Amino acid sequence: MTGELHGLGVSRRVEQMTRGTFQVKPGSLFPALHRMEENGWLTSFWGESENHRKAKFYRLTKAGERQLGKETAEWQKIALAMGHALKTAKGV
Amino acid sequence: MLRGCGMVWSRVRSLWRNWFRRGGVDADLDAEVLAFVEMSAEEDAARGVTPEEARRRALAEVGGAERLKQQVREGRAGAGIESVMQDLRFGGRQVVKSPGFGLTVMATLALSIGITTAVFSVLYAMVIRPLPYQDVSRIAAMDTRSASGGPQAASYPEYVDWRKMQHSFTALAGYSPQGAVGMKSDAGAVVLNEVEGTDNFFTVFEVNPVLGRTFAAGEDEDGRNNVVVLSYEVWQQDFGGKADVVGRRVQMDGSAYTVIGVMRAGFRFPINVMNSIYVPLHLTPTQRDNRGNHWLQTVARLKPGMTARQAEADMDTIFAALGKTDMFDAGRTVHAVDLTMYVVGDTAGSLRLLLYAVLAVLVIGCVNVAGLLLARGVKREREMALRSAIGARRGRIVRQLLTEALLFAVCGAGAGVVLAYGLLRLIRMLLIASLSRGAEVQVNLPVLAAALGISVGVTVLAAMMPALRLSGTSPTMALKAGGSAGTTRGQHRLRTGFVVTQVALALALLVVSGLLLHMLEKLRTTELGFNPGQMLTAEINLPRGRYAGRDVLADFYTPLVEKVQAMPGVRAAGLIQMLPVQGWGWNSEHIHIYGTAPLKNPRTDPAEVRFVTPGYYKVFQNALVEGRLGDAAIDRPTTRLAAVVNEAFVKKFIPAGRDPVGMEIGDNDQMETLASQDNPRVLIVGVVKNIRQSIYQPPFPEMDYNIAQIPPAVSLNAIGSMHLVVRTSVAPESLVPQLQKVLHDVDATVPLREPETMMQVVADVLTFQRLENWLFGAFAGLAVLLAVVGLYGLISHEVELSTRDIGIKLALGASRGRILEGIYRRVGWMLGVGVVLGLLVTVAAEKFIGAVVAVGLAKDGLLIVALAVGLMGVGLLAAAVPARRASGVEPMEALREE
Repeated sequence: MTGELHGLGVSRRVEQMTRGTFQVKPGSLFPALHRMEENGWLTSFWGESENHRKAKFYRLTKAGERQLGKETAEWQKIALAMGHALKTAKGV
Repeated sequence: MLRGCGMVWSRVRSLWRNWFRRGGVDADLDAEVLAFVEMSAEEDAARGVTPEEARRRALAEVGGAERLKQQVREGRAGAGIESVMQDLRFGGRQVVKSPGFGLTVMATLALSIGITTAVFSVLYAMVIRPLPYQDVSRIAAMDTRSASGGPQAASYPEYVDWRKMQHSFTALAGYSPQGAVGMKSDAGAVVLNEVEGTDNFFTVFEVNPVLGRTFAAGEDEDGRNNVVVLSYEVWQQDFGGKADVVGRRVQMDGSAYTVIGVMRAGFRFPINVMNSIYVPLHLTPTQRDNRGNHWLQTVARLKPGMTARQAEADMDTIFAALGKTDMFDAGRTVHAVDLTMYVVGDTAGSLRLLLYAVLAVLVIGCVNVAGLLLARGVKREREMALRSAIGARRGRIVRQLLTEALLFAVCGAGAGVVLAYGLLRLIRMLLIASLSRGAEVQVNLPVLAAALGISVGVTVLAAMMPALRLSGTSPTMALKAGGSAGTTRGQHRLRTGFVVTQVALALALLVVSGLLLHMLEKLRTTELGFNPGQMLTAEINLPRGRYAGRDVLADFYTPLVEKVQAMPGVRAAGLIQMLPVQGWGWNSEHIHIYGTAPLKNPRTDPAEVRFVTPGYYKVFQNALVEGRLGDAAIDRPTTRLAAVVNEAFVKKFIPAGRDPVGMEIGDNDQMETLASQDNPRVLIVGVVKNIRQSIYQPPFPEMDYNIAQIPPAVSLNAIGSMHLVVRTSVAPESLVPQLQKVLHDVDATVPLREPETMMQVVADVLTFQRLENWLFGAFAGLAVLLAVVGLYGLISHEVELSTRDIGIKLALGASRGRILEGIYRRVGWMLGVGVVLGLLVTVAAEKFIGAVVAVGLAKDGLLIVALAVGLMGVGLLAAAVPARRASGVEPMEALREE
């Protein structure tokens, strides 16, 4: 995921990508965004939305990309392991 | 790793920004959330929802913008610190808003902690702290008694026998503090306190010297006994702490001594003798040979496995065996007293009482603080509920209250610590003179920590109560208009309990203090038998080396008294070996009056013995009742011994109706000392009025011998140490320099020791009483103050709570008078219960109080009742202001207030 999005945009996008499974409410969204920004994984800036409204946009940083890669790999490892476990369990 | 660094750096930057650009960051967040809400609304509007509905939905999704922002803020870097700072600021504002409350809480804490710590430290240093000897529990002070049970030291021949025959001690040693002695060395001249001891003296304590050695076996014999062991402080102060002091030659008393060792730091025996040096015994012939001359104190170390009781039994068999051959030893007993107990002595009882007083004050203080904080907490319950309702987490509320409480606690505790140190300096100054371990009193850190812990703990707990209670009730209940916060039964009872406790303890303290004060007054104005004003006293110690074998009377005392009498401003001068009020116990037993029925019990009570000059009676303005005083013209060393007795002696020993003058006394104890008399019977030549020897007890029977009758050969022994007493026509202190000069003229080597007025002597004796009294007075005063403050606070609070009820009652037609009456009735009831409880506590503690001052219902009943009534009065007064305020309430306002 490249490019920049504002808060609402992130929320809608996640909903879209996960086909409605994950609905990120503002209560989780904003704290998460701000935390990631403080950790240096996102940068923010004020820009114009599609409807010419002022909104705060977020973009992934280099460090953020690295972090994303790390967490993706971690997730895939877990998913694989789970898969194996379930398969084996089923077999038993 | 570097990536980790990058993250840390980023967080640091955020921390900085969040802290210093807080305003900007917040504004930014506001804008962001606002934008989000509007965009979300627009989206809905685009889908056909009405604008208002869209906005509502958006807001709902956001869940309340404020709450969202708060959540973001809480997740920020530095949020933790920021909220703590917030809490502190809030707490600070609270204190500033109600300074009276804050100051009261902090002052209460400071006083409780400060005084508790100070007094506990004193107790620790004096009573609890172990003595600086090895295995102290094995050391016993031998409290040897005479046949009639009075304290009586050992004579040297006795000691030798005991030591030979005993089986229970690894070492039985004798010692005798000799008082001040002048020492000259290369390091200069200095006056030190000398303690003589037997060769096994140091074995008892098993403390190794830090330099050199201690006495060797047999080193207390003549020819080998000119050695000296220095105490650590003497080595440091007067010899510069140099290691080459061992082997040094010094001059004491005109003789040459060698320093053989230095004791470890902290070692002192007896423990109240400062700047001490230790030498082996130097016996005069009388001391060595006279079995009836009791002067040697004994101390011993028990063999392993031996108990004190077994040792006493062993000694009893020894006494019995010796008593068969020597009547003086028959019937002797000994208490082997644990040394620690011995050092503390009579003060144990009073110190223990002080301990309880201190605890009482601490309890009152804590109760007070708890009460105040709880009361305030109740008031703020609604505030807490409100906060909780708008989203504050319980943890946050609790933390905020905790911070506030800690703010109080830390300030109060800090002040308390400062107070403790200050008080101890003051007490140290007072104590140094009068009590054995006074100089070692320091702030006791464990105690300080405990006092701090308790007070702070109580403070924090009490302050947090509202938050803890909150979790029990639902916020809505607390928020309800007209909520009756704080009026639950339990809280009522708790508050009442607080007031009652405080009043009870305050009364108990007041009673003890009052009784002590009373006793002190009585002591001070006790009929001493003489007028202590315009009297000067001083102590004279003749150096052994210089005066051995000389006639001290002709060579020293007579010229001295003559010169002193010739001084301007002096009305009369005299000598006595033991000063009235200051000391007693120099006595003879086995007194027998010839020509009277032999007493059923040959072991009679002793009679005090004094060696005086006739001038002594003039100085003390003691009137002659009958007969004559001792007279140097008539009474010589060669003529028979003449004694002047006091009225108490007559009452005790002379049968009614007989004329004491002309009767004869058999005084065997003194016969041994003044052994050159042909006629062993002492003739009573005169009777004088009583002069108190001990301020606490009625006058003892006393026999006075004229020092002119003491044979020169033994004179140094009997009267080598005397008190010069002078009655002046001017201020006594003003004569001291002249007196020093006169003494110098007679003999420049004899120092004038402890020149004091008689008033000072009396005051010194009472010092511990005075200190005790001062302390108790302070406690009582503090307790009452705290109780009053607590009462005021709690009653105010109660009244405030029932404002609405009062308003209703007034609206329904009750008169203000009835309201007042109701309030006073309730307060009076609490005070009454408190007072009764306090009296019960006093009665229950009578055993402890009695160690210090006798409590007699008959004689002190009036005083106690007066104090109780006084306390109640003060309590009612404290309630007056809140009560007036309550009854002055306007009904409509009261009802509206909720």
